[in-house]
Amino acid sequence: MTDRTRIALLLAPALLLLGGLFLSGLGLTLLRSFRYFPALGLTEPDLGAYAAILTSPGFLRSLGLSLWIASASTVLAAILALVAALLLRQSFPGRALISFLVQLNLTIPHVVGAIGILYLLSQSGAFARLAHAAGLIAGPADFPVLVNDPFAIGIILLYVWKEVPFIALILLANLQTLGEDHESVARSLGATRWQAFRHVLLPMLAPGLAAASALVFAFAFGAYEVPLILGQHAPKALPVLAWQAWTDTDLATRPEAMAMSIVIAAIGLALLALVARAVRQGGE
Amino acid sequence: MMRPDPRRADRLRLLAGLALAGTLILPLVPLALWSVAQGWRFPHLLPQAWSGRAWAHALDPASGVLESLALTTLIALATTFIAALVGVPAGRALGLYRFRGKGIVTLLLLAPAVLPAIAVVFGLHGVFLRLGLTGTVAGVILAHLVPVLPYMTLVMAAVFARLDPELEAQARTLGATPFQTFRCVTLPAILPGLMTAGLFAFLVSWSQYLLTLAIGGGKVQTLPLLMFSFSSAGRNDITGAIALIYILPGLLVLILTARQVTGRGAALTQGLRP
Amino acid sequence: MLRSLSVLLLLSSAALADTADGEALKAMTWDQIEAEARGGTVNWFMWGGSDMINAYVSGYVADRLKAEYDITLNRVPITDAAEIVNLILSEKEAGITDAGSVDLIWINGENFRSMKQGGLAFCGHTDLLPNNALVDWDNPAIANDFGVPVDGCEVPWNTVQFAFAHDSAVVPAPPADMAALLDWIRANPGRFTYPAPPDFTGSAFLRHVFIHAAGGPDDLLGPFDPATFETVSARTWEILNEIEPFLWRGGQTYPTSITQLNELFANGEVDFSFNYDPAQFGLAVQAGSWPETTRSFGLASGTIGNTNYTLIPFNAPNKAAAMVVQNLLLSGEAQLEKAKTEVWGAAPAIEIARTSAEVQAGFAAIKGHPSVVPAAELAKAALPELQADWLIALEKGWAEKVGN
Repeated sequence: MTDRTRIALLLAPALLLLGGLFLSGLGLTLLRSFRYFPALGLTEPDLGAYAAILTSPGFLRSLGLSLWIASASTVLAAILALVAALLLRQSFPGRALISFLVQLNLTIPHVVGAIGILYLLSQSGAFARLAHAAGLIAGPADFPVLVNDPFAIGIILLYVWKEVPFIALILLANLQTLGEDHESVARSLGATRWQAFRHVLLPMLAPGLAAASALVFAFAFGAYEVPLILGQHAPKALPVLAWQAWTDTDLATRPEAMAMSIVIAAIGLALLALVARAVRQGGE
Repeated sequence: MMRPDPRRADRLRLLAGLALAGTLILPLVPLALWSVAQGWRFPHLLPQAWSGRAWAHALDPASGVLESLALTTLIALATTFIAALVGVPAGRALGLYRFRGKGIVTLLLLAPAVLPAIAVVFGLHGVFLRLGLTGTVAGVILAHLVPVLPYMTLVMAAVFARLDPELEAQARTLGATPFQTFRCVTLPAILPGLMTAGLFAFLVSWSQYLLTLAIGGGKVQTLPLLMFSFSSAGRNDITGAIALIYILPGLLVLILTARQVTGRGAALTQGLRP
Repeated sequence: MLRSLSVLLLLSSAALADTADGEALKAMTWDQIEAEARGGTVNWFMWGGSDMINAYVSGYVADRLKAEYDITLNRVPITDAAEIVNLILSEKEAGITDAGSVDLIWINGENFRSMKQGGLAFCGHTDLLPNNALVDWDNPAIANDFGVPVDGCEVPWNTVQFAFAHDSAVVPAPPADMAALLDWIRANPGRFTYPAPPDFTGSAFLRHVFIHAAGGPDDLLGPFDPATFETVSARTWEILNEIEPFLWRGGQTYPTSITQLNELFANGEVDFSFNYDPAQFGLAVQAGSWPETTRSFGLASGTIGNTNYTLIPFNAPNKAAAMVVQNLLLSGEAQLEKAKTEVWGAAPAIEIARTSAEVQAGFAAIKGHPSVVPAAELAKAALPELQADWLIALEKGWAEKVGN
């Protein structure tokens, strides 16, 4: 057996299964988004659904909201994760327990975290009660609006809470493979701690940080259940809007739902390409 | 120049670490309290009355929570098993060989892992509907493979990339059959990686909400769906109890894998999902 | 493991379509249908958010079905019936006509209209149910579901009438009618809100304001009339935009669901909640979510009443067993059981006078929950439900003119 056949045989089941599921799913979504729906009498593909969503203020506001949620969550989570990783790299008493908790967070499903954040941060939630007990507020209305709010603070906090451990663990793994040598060399050559971090450590961590951040961005941009629990009645995050259009009892809105999910896919793929390029260039 | 007191630095780190850890478990606290509360209204800091009712409901066979726990476990196990069966060979091809088209294959594997479920789920539902797979456990398992299989394959590729192919060649020259070689040489070498990949694959399937809802059509009631239906009806006590049951297997998985992840886990963390 | 896996895959694939042919069933006698139903499984998709209702269905109903007919009842909890209508619609579009995934749905209103219009309902079988004789089909509120004639496509299960809840310790004297409620909102800034339509309950509140703006329901009955809608809705948006600054969070946002409003009420953030099914108030107090001092009331200007139903989809694979379930739900005994305060407190959809003496005595012995306004008192000022087209136009208009 030649290597080529062997490789083909090894890859075939995975590619067939995944290709079958993923490409057929994406392909049918694409067809439907062009309003090709023979069962409904739509046999002439057109761009009507895209035109409809791109001119709808509701869609554009939702797109903007989802981009804001994803960007803000990613930037905050990446910065805090960097700090957390640098902290957890040091040895200090109690570190084992803290790393265990960091990993515990990784296993908690988003939907559980979102409900927890809701009970914690709502205007009558646990923090509001503490503030009331401390005499800081007279009633729920005085407590800042942190969930179901116009700036999606609750949603962003949930992602930060959930993704800091995720990025931090990836960075920690990177740090372990890098070792401490490069920094020590820099320090021995007279660099300050900050300089050693800025010019030596950070560039080496950058590819891992970029890849992890891209995953977080894509997830925060496309997740459905988190904005469903923590979001506002309007505008809705894009995945929630798409789901609503898809489950509308009026079948005519189906192509629009499909077009929205294609927009989400396109943004995700563009991001993937961007990061793949950046990582490749960084590696060279 | 003054050197900072090392004990003071330790204390600061511990403090920062505690703040981090505290934040991480904070959202679980109200869930746990709600699960034993009967009425917990503003401004009470603690529930007005304690009650085991939510837990009694959750553990009552008639309520369907335990059944749902078994079903969620079964789906996650089956998904992981199929993913390993298919993903290990593919990971071997990607990790051990260089070949033309490897870039495309990697991209095809990476895309479903990166793209959110909402991007494919509508189309997948249409395809599954025609195949009679909607509303079935089999359909949900296949749908879960979309995010799980790429993960398994990519992690196994990293594991195989660190495997020394010479070992297998030596075993073969010493007269071992391909199966013996796999069982006695390859498998022991990849087993730690495979275990961790499998446990995390289990968790990815375990956490799915949207794919299960869309493909299962409500008929395949996994724990997140059940929890959501109580949460969206305002039964915070039962929601809390189900939430705690729901995070339990994750905790077990973590205890089983803690060492691998914090240890030499660079390759494994490549496959982590947010 | 491989073998058990393949067994699992086989087991989980589509159920056998044994009694999917509805026309054949309609030609049978009830005894024959019961015989066909034996050993069947019914997938009943219903809102799953109340542990009391769930316990009634999975306990009392399921136990009786198993014991008396060997039918397995599989309660499928859902959050939104519209998603299930959509699922059946997708099945029809994919050509699945006898192996659908749904055997029975708890439904009413616009979802029923969608199913009837889309040809998704199994119709014309209700006369076959022996307990159908207990239903007063001459009552227009039962024969019409949100103004859409039922036409033998669904079987009534409960009757409900919209009511408001308040904490008598906080608001001892609640407003008596809609005009008074609007005044109360202006006088008590931040203490009232309603869920954003298309939330089912928020949409019902919106219709009360709409009927108030029209000066009564008379002009709004019957099919959708664009001219009337134009004038009355303009007045409605004016009223709602005028009270908006006095709402919770200054009307900047609205609760996304009735659950969120219930939470706000439970925590004293607002002074009123409301529900289409006042029995829910009693359940919330029993669960400890709401204060014991919760009381409820209707409006002198009337509140909207409706009936909710069970429906068998056109492609249900187990129609015979689903019919037996419908018949059992309609029985005097089953209706009495769920009317009990400690079970659910739901008002019956049958004429109590037509039931056995025992069941009648049972109904007479029920002591209502103190937090639940008696159905008889609400019925003194009842408003009919508007047709689904009004409802859809209102929900759309609200999103554009008020909730933007």
